[in-house]
Amino acid sequence: MRLPTGTYFQNYRADHAWWRTKFVWFRMGLLLAVFLLLPHVIGGAWLPIVTLIGYMALAAMGVQLLIGYTGQITLGHAAVVAIGAYTCAVTMFVWGVPYPVAFVLGIFAAGLWSVLWGLPAARVKGLYLIVTTMAMQFFTIYIVIGQWIGPVAGRGRAGFIAIDPGMFTIGPWVIFGSIPTYYWTLIVLVLAQVFLANLLRTRVGRAWRAIRDNDIAAEALGVNIFKYKLLSFFIAGCLGGAAGGFWLTTLAGVTPEHFTLTLSLWLVGAILIGGLGSMYGHIFGAAFLVLVIELLRIILMAAIPVWPAAFEYFLYIRYLIYGLAIIGFLIYEPNGLSYRWWQFKNYVHLWPFSY
Amino acid sequence: MLMLAELVVTGIMIGGIYALIALGWTVIFKTSGVLNLATGEMALIGGYICLALYVAGVPFVLAVAGAVIVGAILGFGTERLVLRPMIGEPHLSVIMITVGLAFAFKGVIQLIWGADTRVFTPAVFPLTPITVGPFSISQVFLWSFILSVVLMGFLILFFQRTRRGLAMQATADDETAAMSVGVSPKRVYGWSWALAFAVVGVGGALLGNINGLNVGVAFFGLLVLPAVVMGGLNSIPGAIVGGLLIGVLQNLGDFYIGPFVPGIKDIFPFLVMMVVLLFRPYGLWGWVKIERM
Repeated sequence: MRLPTGTYFQNYRADHAWWRTKFVWFRMGLLLAVFLLLPHVIGGAWLPIVTLIGYMALAAMGVQLLIGYTGQITLGHAAVVAIGAYTCAVTMFVWGVPYPVAFVLGIFAAGLWSVLWGLPAARVKGLYLIVTTMAMQFFTIYIVIGQWIGPVAGRGRAGFIAIDPGMFTIGPWVIFGSIPTYYWTLIVLVLAQVFLANLLRTRVGRAWRAIRDNDIAAEALGVNIFKYKLLSFFIAGCLGGAAGGFWLTTLAGVTPEHFTLTLSLWLVGAILIGGLGSMYGHIFGAAFLVLVIELLRIILMAAIPVWPAAFEYFLYIRYLIYGLAIIGFLIYEPNGLSYRWWQFKNYVHLWPFSY
Repeated sequence: MLMLAELVVTGIMIGGIYALIALGWTVIFKTSGVLNLATGEMALIGGYICLALYVAGVPFVLAVAGAVIVGAILGFGTERLVLRPMIGEPHLSVIMITVGLAFAFKGVIQLIWGADTRVFTPAVFPLTPITVGPFSISQVFLWSFILSVVLMGFLILFFQRTRRGLAMQATADDETAAMSVGVSPKRVYGWSWALAFAVVGVGGALLGNINGLNVGVAFFGLLVLPAVVMGGLNSIPGAIVGGLLIGVLQNLGDFYIGPFVPGIKDIFPFLVMMVVLLFRPYGLWGWVKIERM
């Protein structure tokens, strides 16, 4: 990474730090301040959208870890998000566990569920693994949640669990309404981001990247690939579970409809658009997709006087736009938005003498 | 026992359609190595075109022919516009571009034909079941099966007897060697997409005859995956046997496990596939790939 002239380090600790110059500290402080003040600046209609971006980014972070850093392609990540959400909801509303405990339980349940379905990764890989993760998606959503958890919850049919407002409390803090949920997503997302970014710098992260680049070579170098693949599935599951447990706070009720194969594919699309193997990728991708869909909604709403059926077609056009966005990015910008961001940063660094 | 036999027979009948769709999937995978997740939507497009022609008064056979022709054109177009730029890109990108295609097709289908279920009116096949000895089989299943088998026969003849079919086989077997004897892989990819789009579209039309067409029918395109994975990804006989097997498994799972676990019908093939993969990681007839550094 480029440093301004005159910056010297006297120990490795300082050299390996995330933020090495005063200017970067200032920039990051500014970013944090923007995030903290955001609810008071933008309108109430936009805040839930920012929260939605946070949720999608958190869910996509697990996919980023599996696909972007360990090379294990998954098309069933919505299933672990669902397990996190449902564990949290069932323990809270059926057994009366307080929210923080239920949240942690949801995280671990999702992690273990993900490991269970990651076990075939020991035997199969590549295209065959894709199909087994798809099997996880269908089995989890239709059978485990649709048929088994629904009756246990006893709060409605087909896995629907109604959520009482104001039940989500951490100590004295009640997470209800758009501003507290925004701060809650900010906390969870920042903690998860810091955790994963640091984990990727350790022995574990290096092992994952070795497996991604060439698993046979990694094994020859002494990396226990079975263990690290499962660890990757576990951490990705935990991140998914955190996303699910967080997402409950914004809902009036949770149904299996929230976690279809479409969401799994959406998450993979988000990291491809944002950039594979980048810690910004999932955030950029989630933000891009959510904002494009939101823009489409606004345009179609505006078109209603001219074309009364516009809003009926919103759902269909949304699919079309989403598909075209993926195709367009893969053909014309295969490195994703985070590559553009990197180029932009370099340009600013060197401006006005770009050599 | 009679019940079991009847379930198996009906399963094989409907499995014929799955086999047809699986064959379409395998043609693309074998020649160009693309794992196509848009198969279901391709089937839907073919089905809807056939339905639109049929409802407009065209005889069913001609409507199927129309779906084949339009499907082939769309197949060429898709390959040229979307898949051609992706040659040589990583697996994940190519898979995701078919996911993008699936979403785009789904959007277009719903924009044109709406989200409501459409049925072939008047019914194409007579509604009275045929009784053979102790069995009674619905005519829709029987005719769909016959049509699928005939079409698969034509495809196999195409692969074995025509110049293009042989070129496709050669590319699937060894692309470099095929290039060295003058086969253009790009043209072969185009042909494989056209063929697959056409064949899969006929499968969609046949599925539409059973329960009507709506976007949910695209799920059958995903059911092809356990079929081809069980058969082994690179094996055409494997795809056909896998398709038939999926039909049978669906029926058996629905009848024997369905009362205890409702909704198992569509998931059961996936679960059986997982078990098969645990013991034979390359499917029943797939090539065992030896990886070296």
